[in-house]
Amino acid sequence: MSSPTGADPRPAIRRTAEGDWVVVGRRCRACAEPVAYAWPRCPSCGSAVEPAHFGPRGTVWSSTVVRIAVPGHAPPYSLAYVDLDDGPRVLAHVPGRNADEPTPIGSTARLIGVSDDGDLQVEVTG
Amino acid sequence: MTARGTVAVAGVGTSHFGRQPDRDLLTLAYDAVREAFSDAGSERVDAVWVGTVFAPAGVAQRVLRAMGITGIPIVTVENACASGTTAFVEAHEAVRTGRHGRVLALGLEQMSTAFSGAITPETTDPEGRTGLAMPAMYAMSAARYLHTGAVTPEQLAAVSVKNHAHAVHNPRAQYSGHHTVEQVLASRMIADPLTLLQCCPTSDGAAAAVLTPATGAAGEVVVRGAALRSGTPWNHRSPHVWGHDVVADTTRDALAAADLDAASDADVLEVHDAFTIGEIVTTEALGLVPPGEGGKAAAGGVTALGGAHPVNPSGGLLSRGHPLGATGLAQIAEITWQLRGRCGARQVEGARLGLVETMGGGVSVLDGNACVVTVLESR
Repeated sequence: MSSPTGADPRPAIRRTAEGDWVVVGRRCRACAEPVAYAWPRCPSCGSAVEPAHFGPRGTVWSSTVVRIAVPGHAPPYSLAYVDLDDGPRVLAHVPGRNADEPTPIGSTARLIGVSDDGDLQVEVTG
Repeated sequence: MTARGTVAVAGVGTSHFGRQPDRDLLTLAYDAVREAFSDAGSERVDAVWVGTVFAPAGVAQRVLRAMGITGIPIVTVENACASGTTAFVEAHEAVRTGRHGRVLALGLEQMSTAFSGAITPETTDPEGRTGLAMPAMYAMSAARYLHTGAVTPEQLAAVSVKNHAHAVHNPRAQYSGHHTVEQVLASRMIADPLTLLQCCPTSDGAAAAVLTPATGAAGEVVVRGAALRSGTPWNHRSPHVWGHDVVADTTRDALAAADLDAASDADVLEVHDAFTIGEIVTTEALGLVPPGEGGKAAAGGVTALGGAHPVNPSGGLLSRGHPLGATGLAQIAEITWQLRGRCGARQVEGARLGLVETMGGGVSVLDGNACVVTVLESR
């Protein structure tokens, strides 16, 4: 069983001067594919990429509540795939929600930083 | 490519499937290989491809030397849940091109000793590190299908009901039973909306096939076509849920290789139903049923034994069990037995053409680590 050692593979985020959290990723120079990671090439077409920021706003594409034990995460916890506006689909935790209720699909959401464990987090805004 | 030849499945074999922590990979593998050799009528092989995901390094040589298989090319492949069928298509290609004469494809996995519960998500993967366990990944697809009205909770549960009922007639299956839709939905929630009975179990097992050049004998089971693909990016641009497109693309390749018009030409199918939503999405991606009709087909008996397109007569991964690396070859074994008319109460009458689909995932951003689609035919 692997333990979380080495470089953190999760998206890097930072706070803008306006106080918004954004994912620091890449955008493909050829096909404009947004990527949530600082990868050297575009995963869609292999072309060169340039730094790009995504977020903080997006829309919930789907969601679930995980109710089984997963190392490093205490169940139940709420997860959502969020399509960031003009950006990539990212997996994020939705803290503070009633864990018996998955985040409504189609909701608007906003990045709110990372958890103590370094997981990307969003809150539902509408 | 050099020579082009038709390849036969000369023999198949499997272990029992289930939690077998007191056994080891060596004895599980021997159960499968011994039966496959006996079925093929020969113990001679010129090369071996072994599919496994979580077995320790060196497992192929370790289990094979215990049965006297040494000194020949032995290759281990890993393609998540499609590892067993990856071994099969590589073995097929080796025989088809004349690189080797007789090739053994072996899949094996012992999950019960590797994990205390579900598979631990891979922490070097961004979404694995974030806590996206496999049931949660499929739950995202199921939730999306429910949201768009492409499936109902009862239709999801119907897949579990069907496959557990099929497994009643499979003595090697891990689980079986006559459940109701209500029982499936009332079982413990794992990752909303998927309940326990909608998730494959933790399984140990092995399965094997011997591939040889076809002889042309009557009743011989041959590989009519096979294809393997790895996934492309799955993201906000994707029109479908995770995994759909890699299955659809690989199916198109396999049907072209088999010179068939449609997956519905197959009389019987074994497909990847690690979770109920998986079978529904797969039957749609195969083109077996129209888009959005997978749930209705399961609930209406279309994909049940006796229906127009029987899917997973073995009980599938949900009921036979899902020892990852073994699964693809367990599917190949089931279809081979079906095409020989040897499946007893779960036999699809008169089956001559069968299709196997396996897909594996876990690498985030991709539509799947790999998908394999194979068409077998009884000549």
